[in-house]
Amino acid sequence: MAGFTSIAPLRSQEPLTPAPVRRRFRDSPRRILIGTGVVTALLVALVVVSARTSRFTPDLLTEGVLYALSAADLAMLAALLFLLARFIIKLVVERRRALPLARFRTRLVALLLGMTLAPAILVLIVGSELIRTNIDRWFNAPLADVLSSANQIAGEYYHERQVLVGDHADRVASALSSVDLAGADADAIRERLAPELTLHGVRRLTVYRVGPNAGSPPTLELVGDVSASGLPAGEGTAAARLAAQAIGGVSDARSIEMLGASGDLLYAAAVVRAPDGPPTGVVVAADYVAGEFAARSHRMVQAFEGYNQLRVLRRPLTGMYLSFFLMVTLLILIGATWTGSYLAKRITRPVVALSAAAREIGAGRLDQRIEQQGDEEFGALVEAFNVMAGELATSRRKLERSTHEIERKHLEVEKRRRYVETILERITTGVVSVDISGAITTINTAASRLLSLPRSIVGHSARAVFDRADLRELGALIAGVDRPTVTEPIPQEIAIPREGQELRLAVVATALIGESGASEGLVLVFDDVTPLIRAQKVAAWREVARRLAHEIKNPLTPIQLSAGRLRRHFQTAPPAVKALVDECTETIVGEVESLKGLVDEFSQFARMPSPKTVPTDLGQLISETVALYNGIFADVRIEQRFAPGLPLVRLDAEQIRRVIINVVDNAIEAMDRRGVIVVETQLDIPNRVVRVVVADDGPGIPAAEREKLFLPYYSTKGRGSGLGLAIVRRIIAEHGGSIETSDNVPHGTRFTIELPC
Amino acid sequence: MLPRKHEDTKKGTVHSSSCFRVFVTVAALVAGVGVRAQAAQVSVTPIARDGQVLVSFDLGVGISDDLRDAIQSGLATTFSCEVALRRATATWFDRTIASVTVTASVRFDNLTRQYQLSRTFDGKEGVAHSTDDEEAVRRWLTEFERVPLSMTSVLEANGEYYVRVRARTRPRNAWILWPWDRSAILGRATFTFVQ
Repeated sequence: MAGFTSIAPLRSQEPLTPAPVRRRFRDSPRRILIGTGVVTALLVALVVVSARTSRFTPDLLTEGVLYALSAADLAMLAALLFLLARFIIKLVVERRRALPLARFRTRLVALLLGMTLAPAILVLIVGSELIRTNIDRWFNAPLADVLSSANQIAGEYYHERQVLVGDHADRVASALSSVDLAGADADAIRERLAPELTLHGVRRLTVYRVGPNAGSPPTLELVGDVSASGLPAGEGTAAARLAAQAIGGVSDARSIEMLGASGDLLYAAAVVRAPDGPPTGVVVAADYVAGEFAARSHRMVQAFEGYNQLRVLRRPLTGMYLSFFLMVTLLILIGATWTGSYLAKRITRPVVALSAAAREIGAGRLDQRIEQQGDEEFGALVEAFNVMAGELATSRRKLERSTHEIERKHLEVEKRRRYVETILERITTGVVSVDISGAITTINTAASRLLSLPRSIVGHSARAVFDRADLRELGALIAGVDRPTVTEPIPQEIAIPREGQELRLAVVATALIGESGASEGLVLVFDDVTPLIRAQKVAAWREVARRLAHEIKNPLTPIQLSAGRLRRHFQTAPPAVKALVDECTETIVGEVESLKGLVDEFSQFARMPSPKTVPTDLGQLISETVALYNGIFADVRIEQRFAPGLPLVRLDAEQIRRVIINVVDNAIEAMDRRGVIVVETQLDIPNRVVRVVVADDGPGIPAAEREKLFLPYYSTKGRGSGLGLAIVRRIIAEHGGSIETSDNVPHGTRFTIELPC
Repeated sequence: MLPRKHEDTKKGTVHSSSCFRVFVTVAALVAGVGVRAQAAQVSVTPIARDGQVLVSFDLGVGISDDLRDAIQSGLATTFSCEVALRRATATWFDRTIASVTVTASVRFDNLTRQYQLSRTFDGKEGVAHSTDDEEAVRRWLTEFERVPLSMTSVLEANGEYYVRVRARTRPRNAWILWPWDRSAILGRATFTFVQ
């Protein structure tokens, strides 16, 4: 099986096959083998320990081994629970995340665990019961009775022999009470004791006397001893210790000296007392139990003790064996759980890795690769996947480059579009574009202002928008938007009424032709040529005036001179003739003078000098000018309303004064020298203009005649040259401003003069 | 009698036989002459003599059949008693001033029918002897007289102390061993040290 450990991102410089990452425990067969070996060794150790339990001391068994086994069982139970909990939590998380094969892994592990759990628990229960039953059977009654009887026999025998030896010791002590042990000779004592060995079966007698240094307890000195022939020597100190116990007050002092294979020596001690009561010595008698008999007795006692010790320690022993059994069961369960998890991962990991890598690639991380550590079942699949991922990455890089190029071009186009849009917004030429469906796609600020259309009409039908009465001529130009026949734009001049005046537009409709040659719409470009036409008219009139003045003025002087000559010639004529001549020549001269005046005005209109502008306080100029009318017209009231903060305006004060006088004169005449005239100033900061408004409450001027007001020789007063307002417009125009008329509310006329500031 | 000593101490008239004017009062309300634990049989009696705190205690248990079986099986059976002089603190674990471990062991020789008795104090061998009297064995295992626990110099005057005795037998006879052995025998006596 191919081995996979993880998916790893691949740097662009890295080769297609990723470098292997550090393997974890479960991917290392060597480590798995070592782990298995450790577990096996642990099991063997358990078996060995269980086989040697009989050699353990009870304390080691109950305090050490049982405790260690209990702790180990608890630890393994905790480990099993941890493994199970970890596995369950991981499965729940994986299933919630809808990871592939989560269900399969659950089933695999559950199957393995189930296959192991049932027999393991069954074996545990049956085995535990067997252990308990077998241990109980160890302690059956007949065996206990036999061992108890044997122990009793051995004990009784030894006890009887010790009692007998004690009796001998008492008897000898009683016999020696009359002997002065302090001064007795050792040989004499031995001689006296020798018959005891032969007559009463005592195998050794040792006599001690109380030493000269009295104390508590008193010290003893060996007087002498006799022993039967062939008696093992023994340790030699047992008799002395027993004697010391006896003189120390221990009643019924007895002991057994075990000589191993040689047998046992049974000792008993008796205090020798003088007839008057004080102790004078100690007699220690010894009997001998032969080696074979002693050994059998010891074995009987040991068998009894061993049996009883096992019975006493039955519960710890049972617990220990159960712990062994439980430990093996837990080891099997842990092994099954871990193996199930391991196998499930081993089987599903390649697919999971493929799935995860596919998700990563699906999420756009095309540098993901699956690490391949083998070339078996899944090797080819992984290789194909990695190749596919590599090709995808290459394609994506190409796509990204293309996208980048498109974005760059789009930015350029957008930049150009913004540039064109800015120009369109800044220019005074109106531009309206219409697509092939007849919807308005663009309208710039100038067009919106000139046509009095809101910008929100973009997207609306051009047919509906230009169906307005004043825009129908423009609408007619747009009507052919879907006909790609118009290839050469034809300029046209269209007049549209605007606030009682005529706005003259120079219009060009240009078809938008696509690359395929089909019409994609139409663009309407128009300029406000009204000021231009006005200027052309003024220039024409100035030329007319100049020629008129030149042509008329030249013959006037000869006419005047001729009339003078005629008058002088007929000075001598009859009175009637003279009177007639005088009257005629006077009329001629008078009319010539009148013509000269007219010609001078024309000349002035034609030769009006350029304004000499200086920064001027417009309010003060108006105030001074209006002050000229004080007291002249009794029924005329002139109100002045000046905007605060009006800046100084560059203008020719004399010419502007003439403009104001002319406009005010016209107003006074228009309202028949009776009414209110309002002269006000306004500051329009955004447009950087100053407005001077002169409004009267006269009858007003019909809209059709307003434009004619500024034409030379046009007058509604029936007198004058008709050049007043023409000169006014010219002065204002030469100051870079404009003058318009409109209706005053509720009645009258408003002259609005705009001057740049 | 310690309770009387307590009363006399309040009167300030009784003096100990040592050079220290020491007496120990046992809180009759708390301990009386013995503090019950387990089967309410353990009596613990601390006294001060000759500059030492001596503790006498009786585990108050007889030789049960199980214990007798264990002894007569020839197993060395031991009563291990941990005697601790402690002072209670309200905010932390109680502080141990001094402690001593006393063991009393018995081993029965089935051949001679003799009980070999021995004791150790903090691991040091004490007295040993043999007997064939089972009652003497019981007393040897369960009754301890005047076990030296601490010098009185380490005690604070008018301080509240208590002596805790925790005894357990070896070998244990249980299926499973648990770190918190509930089979231990516990006894406790509280006293006020007045100097």
